[in-house]
Amino acid sequence: MSNTILGRDAYWMNFFGLMLLTLIEVAAVGADLSSAAEGFSMTERQLTLWILTVIAIPKFIMIAAIFMHLWGENDSGILTLTALFPAFFIIIMILFIGLTHPDASMGLPDWCRPGNYGL
Amino acid sequence: MSADYHDHDDHHPSPWGPHDWGHGAPHNSFSPLIMSIGCGMFLLMLGGLFSFGEYDGRYLPMIFVSLAVIAAALIVWCRQDMSFDGSYEPRAVGVPFKNVQVRKVGVWIFLWSEMMIFSSLFSTYMRYRQGIPRCDTVFESGDWVEGVAVTCFEPASKLIASSWWHIAPGAINTFALIISSFTIVQALRWANKPVGSVDEEVRRKRVYRYLAATWCLAALFLTLKMIEWFIGFHVPEIGFLGLHEHDIHSLYSEGYLINNDHYQAHHYVDEATGAHMVANIQVSASLFYVTTGTHGLHVFGGIVGLTYLTYKAWTGAYNPQSAVSIEYFGLYWHFVDLVWVLVFPFFYLY
Amino acid sequence: MGGSAVSRRLALISLMAIAMIVVPAVTSLPSGISGVKDTGCNCHGTEADPSVTASISGLPSSYNASETYNVTVSFTGGPAIDGNANLGGFNLWVSEGTLATLDSSTQLWGPNEASHTTEGNDQRSWTLEWTAPVSGKDVDFILHTNSVNGNEGDGGSSGDMWAKAQVEVTGFGGELPEADPFKVLATLIVVSSVLLSIVVLYVFYRNNPEGFEWERFAPWITEWLTSTDHKKIGTLYFVQGLFFLGVGGIMALMIRVQLATPGAEFISQGYYNQFFTLHGTTMIFLAAMPLIAGFANWIVPLQIGAPDLAFPRLNALSFWLQPVAALLIFTGVFSGGGADTGWTGYAPYVVTENTHAGVSMWAAGQIMLVASSTLTGINFLTTMAVMRAPGMGWFQMPLFTWSILVANLMLFLSIPAFGVGLIQVFLDRTIGTAFYDVAAGGDPLLWSHLFWYFGHPEVYVVIVPAFGVISEVIATSARRSIFGYKSMVYAMAGIGLVSFIVYGHHMFTSGMSPTLRFVTMLTTMLVAVPTGIKIFNWLKTMHGGSLVYRTHTLWTLGFLVTFTLGGISGMFFPSMALDVHLHETYFVVAHFHYVLVGGTVFGFFAAIYYWYPKMTGRMLDERLGVLHFLTAFISYNALFWPMHRLGVVGMIRRTHTYYITTDDFQALPEWAADWNMLISVSAFLFFASNLLLVVNMIKSLIRGEKAPADPWGGWSFEWMTSSPPPTPSFDPHNLPELKDANEHVANEPSRLGQMFRRLMVDDDASEGGSH
Repeated sequence: MSNTILGRDAYWMNFFGLMLLTLIEVAAVGADLSSAAEGFSMTERQLTLWILTVIAIPKFIMIAAIFMHLWGENDSGILTLTALFPAFFIIIMILFIGLTHPDASMGLPDWCRPGNYGL
Repeated sequence: MSADYHDHDDHHPSPWGPHDWGHGAPHNSFSPLIMSIGCGMFLLMLGGLFSFGEYDGRYLPMIFVSLAVIAAALIVWCRQDMSFDGSYEPRAVGVPFKNVQVRKVGVWIFLWSEMMIFSSLFSTYMRYRQGIPRCDTVFESGDWVEGVAVTCFEPASKLIASSWWHIAPGAINTFALIISSFTIVQALRWANKPVGSVDEEVRRKRVYRYLAATWCLAALFLTLKMIEWFIGFHVPEIGFLGLHEHDIHSLYSEGYLINNDHYQAHHYVDEATGAHMVANIQVSASLFYVTTGTHGLHVFGGIVGLTYLTYKAWTGAYNPQSAVSIEYFGLYWHFVDLVWVLVFPFFYLY
Repeated sequence: MGGSAVSRRLALISLMAIAMIVVPAVTSLPSGISGVKDTGCNCHGTEADPSVTASISGLPSSYNASETYNVTVSFTGGPAIDGNANLGGFNLWVSEGTLATLDSSTQLWGPNEASHTTEGNDQRSWTLEWTAPVSGKDVDFILHTNSVNGNEGDGGSSGDMWAKAQVEVTGFGGELPEADPFKVLATLIVVSSVLLSIVVLYVFYRNNPEGFEWERFAPWITEWLTSTDHKKIGTLYFVQGLFFLGVGGIMALMIRVQLATPGAEFISQGYYNQFFTLHGTTMIFLAAMPLIAGFANWIVPLQIGAPDLAFPRLNALSFWLQPVAALLIFTGVFSGGGADTGWTGYAPYVVTENTHAGVSMWAAGQIMLVASSTLTGINFLTTMAVMRAPGMGWFQMPLFTWSILVANLMLFLSIPAFGVGLIQVFLDRTIGTAFYDVAAGGDPLLWSHLFWYFGHPEVYVVIVPAFGVISEVIATSARRSIFGYKSMVYAMAGIGLVSFIVYGHHMFTSGMSPTLRFVTMLTTMLVAVPTGIKIFNWLKTMHGGSLVYRTHTLWTLGFLVTFTLGGISGMFFPSMALDVHLHETYFVVAHFHYVLVGGTVFGFFAAIYYWYPKMTGRMLDERLGVLHFLTAFISYNALFWPMHRLGVVGMIRRTHTYYITTDDFQALPEWAADWNMLISVSAFLFFASNLLLVVNMIKSLIRGEKAPADPWGGWSFEWMTSSPPPTPSFDPHNLPELKDANEHVANEPSRLGQMFRRLMVDDDASEGGSH
C-alpha cells in the first residue's frame, strides 16, 4: 500500500491519469481529425479507431496494475501470470471466431480459389 | 449410507442463520437450493413473458416472485457471511500460490471466465462488424431502393457520437466508473490502516462512506444508461452559455431497436431526390444492447454486492483482519471497469 | 415393534394408493372438438332448416391408415331448384387426415377444411379426396351446406336455407386424443414428486428402520438438501447422473425401436426429433457431466489430502443448479413440444418459430448448466491449485486428479463461449434480438463456432476423466506405479491445449474459412499423438506389472479395446475429403459412441467398481460384476460396431426412418435392415445388462460385505481414510503429508519450477500481512 508514482500516492496518480486519458478519448471523437487523417493517408474513422485502441491499452494496464494490485505487492508476480493465463485461449477465439468472417473464401488469393487449373 | 448425520450438529447450528466461522468453512446452507429454484423460475417465466418479441404480461407477477426468491437466497447467503470476521482466511500451501489467500486465487480464476465471456461477445461484434457492410457506406454507394430495407450495420456510435450532448451520458458513465474504482480502493486503504494508527470510529465512517459513494456511482451509471437507452433528456435554454432549448432523444425514440427492420434516420435521406434509405439494423442493435447490457448486468451485480459490503461496513465489521473481503470484491469491480474501457470506445465512440 | 412396522408399511402402501387415485384425476383430457367449426359455417339464415338434408357419402365405417377415399358431400331440398343462378355451397371440416381437391368446384382452407369455389356454387354435390391419418384416431366430419335460391337482393342470401351433417369414422384402435400440455406437465410433476418422496422415505426407512419418525426425518432430509460436504454432494451428483443415464438410455431405446425396421412409424418424426435431441443433451450434460462431477467431488479432495473443496457452499450451488436445469430442459417434453434441434442446436433453425416451443427452455436449462459448470470450475481449479497436502507437488498429484484438473480447465475456459451463444439464442427466442436471424444479416456459422469452441473441449472434458480413472485402476490392478507418469500428464495437458484449436473439424462441410479448415485438419490429426502415448503407457504398465483381474480391471481392459477402436475411427474425420463423405452418417454415430460409451461410460463403470467400497463402505458383488461386464461388453459391440458399415453405405444420422427399396437413389442395400434389427436388439440387451449394475449397487448397499479401508491395495491418499471417510475428510489442523522415497529427486524443482519459485510469496512476507 506504500506504492508511489513520482513520489505521490499511486491510487491518486492512477486516478488522475485515467481521467486524463478518457478526456483525450472523448476529445478525439469529438474533434475534426480529417486533415490529420490525410497526413497518415487514412480515413478519419480509421485514425479515430487507432487513437482509441492505443489509448485503451495504457488504461487497461493502469487499472490492472494499480487498482487490481498486479504491481508492487508480494503476490503481484504470480497473480499477473494467473491473470494472463487465458491469453492463449482468447487469442484463439478472436482469431478463429472474431476474424474469420463468412465471406473469407472470397478473400483468398486467386491461385487457391476454385475455378483455377481447369477445375 | 452411514447414519452419522447428527454427530456433528454442533458445527452447523442452522442452515438459515449465521455460521460459526471458528470451525472453518460453512457446513450447511439452504441458500444454494433456494437460489437454484429462483433462477429456474426466472428463466421459465422470462420464456413466458416474451416469445419471439411478443410480450405477454400475464407472466410479469411471477417474474417478481422469482426475483424475490433469488433475493431471499442472497439474504440467507449474506446472513451466514455477516459473522465472518476474517479470522478464518486459509492460505494456499503449494506451488505456485503458496501463502496467497485461497479466496483471492478463487476470484482471479473466476475472472478468467469473465474474460472468456467478454471475449465471446467481442468476437461476435468483430465478426458482424466485418461481415456486414456499414449503413453509411451502403447509403453513399447508392445501392439501395426507397422502401426496400437494406441489411446493413449501423453502429450505435452513429447516434451517440453525433453530438456532445448525445455522448454525455456515456462519457459521464466512464468517469463514474473510474471514480468508483478509486473510491473502492480508498475504502480498502482505510479498512487496512493498522489498528491503533486510526480511530476505529473514523475508520468505520470512512470505509462505509467510501463504499456508499461507490454504490451511488454504480447507481448513477445504471440511471444514465436508462436515460440514454429509453428516456432521453431535455436541454434548457441558457442564454449566456449559448444553449438552445432542445430535446436529446433516447436510442429508443430514435428507433435504434432490436426489432427495427425499417430503420430510418435523417442522415439517410438523399438530398437530391428526397428519397429515404430504409435499413434493417436488428443485428447491430442486438449487439449493442446485449454487449452493453451484459456489462450493465455486471454493474448491477456489483450493486448487489456493494449493498451487502456497505451494510457490513456500517456495522463496523471491517478492519485490517477482514479488509481482504473488500479487496476481493474490488477485483471484480475493477474488472467491470476494465471491460468498460473496451466497451466504451468500441460501442460508443467508434 | 412388529405392529408399528406393519403400520408403517400400511402407511406407505396407502400413500402409493392415494397417488394412483390422484394421478389419473389430474390427467383430464380435453372434451373432444365441441365448439370447433361452429364458426366454419358461413350459413345463410339463422337456424338450420329441416327441409334441407345434408349428407356425406363415400366414407368407410372405419378407415385404413394413409388410404385415400373420395368423399362426396351433397344436399337435397330447400330453395335450390334447377334454373336458379346459384344452387348452393358447403363447408367441410375434418378432425384428422388431409383433404385435397379433385376439380375446380372446390377449394381448400387448409389441410382439414374445404369449401366450394365461385365456380362450384351451382351444384348440389361436390367430390373431394380425403387421405386418412396414420394415428388411428376416430375422425369427425362436419358438413354445413347452404341451399340457395339464387336471388340477388339482400346480398343474395334471403330465403336461403342451410343444414348440418356430422359423420364419425372409427379409427383402427388409436383412442388417444391429445391432452392439454399443461395438465400433462402438472401430472408428471405430481407423479415424479410422489415417486421421489416414496424413494426418499424408503431410503430413510432402510437406513434405520427403528427411527422412522419425523423428529429424525426432518434433520436427515435437511442435511441432504443443505449439505456442503463434498462427499454428500458427490453422492447427489452420482444419483442424478445414474438416473439420467437411465432416462437417456430409454430415449435411445425408443430411437432404436423406430429404426429397427425400414419405413417404420413407431414414433412420429416430430417425436423422433425430440428423442434424439434430448438423448444427446441428457447423456452429455445430465448424465456424463454429473457422473464426472460426482467422482471428482468424492475423490479429488481425498486424493490431494484436502479437508473439503475450497468453496463448499459454491459447490452446493453447482449441484442444485443441475436438477432445476434438468426440469427446464424437459419442460418442453412434458407440455408436448420438447426441443427438436439436435443437441448441437444449429442456427438458424434453433431461432425460428418452426421449432417446438420447448427449445426456449432447453436453452434456458443449459444456461443454468453453464453457470453450474463455471462454479464447479472455479472450485476445483482453486482447490487443486492451493489445497494439495504438504509434500504433494504438481508432479506428485494422482493421475485422476490431474485428469480432473485438465478437464475442468478446458471446461471452465470454453463454457463461457457456449453460455454467450445460448444467451444469444435465448434472447433471439424471447425478446426478439436478431443474432441468428439470417434475414437481418445474422450469421449461422457464428453459432457453430461458439458452440464447437465449447463443444470440442467438452467432448474431451467427458473423456479425459475416464483416462484418469483408467490410469488409477490399471496401476492398482497391475500392482505397480503407472508407466510414464510425466508423459501421461503432458499428454493430457497437450490434449487439453489442442482441443481449443481443433474444434473447427466439426464444421468442415459448413462453408467455414478454408484456411481455418486446413489448420484444424492438421491439429486434429495431431490429437492422435498424445492419445497414442497414453494407450502405450497403459499397455506398458500392464506389461511390467502383474495384473489382478477384478471387475474394474475387466472394464479397464474393455475400455482399452473399445476406446482404441473409437480413436481409430476418429482418425477418418480430420481428412477433409473423407469427412465430406462420412459427415452426418452413422459412421459418426458409431465413432462417438465408441469413444463416449466405450470410453467414458466404461471408464466410469470401472470407477464405480473401484471406488464404490470407499464411498459406501460396502463391497460390490464380484460375480454380478463380471456378469455385467461380459453381457454389456458383447451387446455393446454388437450395438455399435455395425453402425460403421451402415454409415459407410450412407445411412444418414438424425433421420426419422430409412428405406431399402432398391430403385431409390437414397435407399440403402437390403441387408441394412438386418443390421439395424441386430443393433436394436443389442440395444435392449445392453440396457438390460446395465440393470445388473443397479441391482448390484442396491444389493450391496443393503447386505454387502463390509469394505476395508483399502480393498484393492491402492496407495493414493483416498485409501488411507476409513471407508466411508469421516467428515471433514482430513483434519484441517493435521493434514496428511506426502513423503517420497527419493525425496531429494522429487523435490528438486524443474526449470519451470524455479521460475515459479522466484515469483512466489515468501513465508516471512506473508506473516506480516501482504499490505
